[in-house]
Amino acid sequence: MPGSCCAGAADLTEKGAMLAAAQAGRFAELPIFDRAAECMPREQLRALQLEKLQRQVAYTYRNVPHYRAAMDELGVSPEDIRTLDDVRRLPFTDKTALRDTYPYGLFAVGLEDIIELHASSGTTGKPIVVGYTRDDMDVWSDCIARLVQMAGVVPGDIAQMAFGYGMFTGGFGLHYGLQKLGCAMIPAGSGNTERHISMIGDYGTTVLIATPSYAMHICEVGERMGFDWERSTLRVGLFGGEPCPPALKAEIESRMHIVCTDNYGLTEVMGPGVSGECLASRDQQHIAEDHFLWEVVDPETGEPVAEGEVGELVLTPLDKQGIPVLRYRTHDLTRVTCEPCACGRTHARMDKVRVRSDDMLIIRGTNVFPSQIEDVLAGIDEVTPHYHIIVETVGGMDALTVETEVRPDKMTDSFEQMDAMRRRIAEKLKGALLVGVNVRLVEPGGIERTMGKAKHIDDMRAR
Amino acid sequence: MTVSQISVFAQSKPGHLARVLGVFEAAGANVRGFSVADTGEFGITRFILDRPDIASAALKDAGFACVETQVLCLKLDDEPGELARVMGILAETGVNVLYSYSMISTYIIIATDDIAATKGALEAQGFALVRQDDIARASAARLGSEG
Repeated sequence: MPGSCCAGAADLTEKGAMLAAAQAGRFAELPIFDRAAECMPREQLRALQLEKLQRQVAYTYRNVPHYRAAMDELGVSPEDIRTLDDVRRLPFTDKTALRDTYPYGLFAVGLEDIIELHASSGTTGKPIVVGYTRDDMDVWSDCIARLVQMAGVVPGDIAQMAFGYGMFTGGFGLHYGLQKLGCAMIPAGSGNTERHISMIGDYGTTVLIATPSYAMHICEVGERMGFDWERSTLRVGLFGGEPCPPALKAEIESRMHIVCTDNYGLTEVMGPGVSGECLASRDQQHIAEDHFLWEVVDPETGEPVAEGEVGELVLTPLDKQGIPVLRYRTHDLTRVTCEPCACGRTHARMDKVRVRSDDMLIIRGTNVFPSQIEDVLAGIDEVTPHYHIIVETVGGMDALTVETEVRPDKMTDSFEQMDAMRRRIAEKLKGALLVGVNVRLVEPGGIERTMGKAKHIDDMRAR
Repeated sequence: MTVSQISVFAQSKPGHLARVLGVFEAAGANVRGFSVADTGEFGITRFILDRPDIASAALKDAGFACVETQVLCLKLDDEPGELARVMGILAETGVNVLYSYSMISTYIIIATDDIAATKGALEAQGFALVRQDDIARASAARLGSEG
């Protein structure tokens, strides 16, 4: 049986066995990749963070002129970092800093010490480029090995990559981490969905790495091909690259008969692996706190919010050598708890990011988040979790249209009933968003499935 | 004495109808009548076929949202006033016509909010109701005469 990690735990590699064990509270049986780091007492963890922060700030000040200038301007020196709270004295970093210094302006080492480069596609203007030293790659693959083990992946698993490789950090990031854990990697890459399904059947794939929208597409194509997901070897889905709506995850889990988790990360601070979901707390993700110092701030003022309140996540990597980054503004809204987790890990948990402050739409003066639309649609039986938002200017006003797919088995012969359903969905959306919404019903599969990040919004307003 | 009708969720965009018809063709089902209405961004396209069972299965396999319902298929004499007579009877019976379309010239499809009452009223007036196997037989006979 592939995937057996140690004696006595072999049965946990059966489909769904780890989740069942977690739900029964048998966490002692579940593997933890680096127990010393992941279950470190919090006082010890805080001490480690402070030591690393002091070292990292000194390293950054010494090696990156951009930060030296920014710190000098604020009148703060590395010696001023005496407690973890002193991180607030440091300058923030925004994505623009990486764009403005493109390509190598923020590198702290020469290219001779860099062993890999990655890039993030800029939606506007220049992309950003990041470089990793050998030690950076070690930390990164370590973070990934931890989170895939949290998801129930074990040495010996056969892991099929359905992310694109290329410059995107998701592909190689997961690849190295899974190899570090001891998995056999199938570097299929994105695209050619039928081939993915054949390979799962032929190679006995146990783990699939994909964006949630592409996993759903693979699921649907497999169903049409007559592929038996329930009897397949596939056991775990590792998602990333885009936020995973809970309803979509639940649907994939029940139709593909796998357990799916998703992780969080940003190219600017490392890539995937900053935080990951354990089987005990499935709406949250453990932040790798020995490698990242987090803050949650008011996105307007930059001041810290009260503990447990929602705010913008700010991250300071504590070990990065290639591109050290201080207080990176993620633009992602979340809240963090340090309460103990049933899984045994002591690292703080952040709520999964549903809302990127950049995704916010302002419709006739009202803030609208795609996650609100997801939540409403998730509560309606007649439609699938897929949606597409179109914003247009009609008669000088913002007009919001939400396209949603009718479920094949919810079709009726009555136009009146179908249209009443459409109007009911529009009413529910209006109630949640506080702006009027035109709902357009489309046929099953009518919303485009993408292989990369799903494109949920078309904003066609005249600017 | 009803016949099967397949109603398909229709999006108002080029190619939708052609895709549906392509599925029927590949499945070997022959369309004997259909109705398409201009209801806006979405609508319901309705089909009468010689093999509704395989047509419906093929559509579902292809991922279409569709539903099979029972409607009445009525044969009229080819004379002026005959259709008016049918609707007059339905009016007197107090049933409401939801939609109606013509199948093959004098063969028409009617869906009402009370199929049983409609059927009873029309049969009482001597109208011939077409059965599912009549459609299949007519189709087979035509193929036989051509072949």
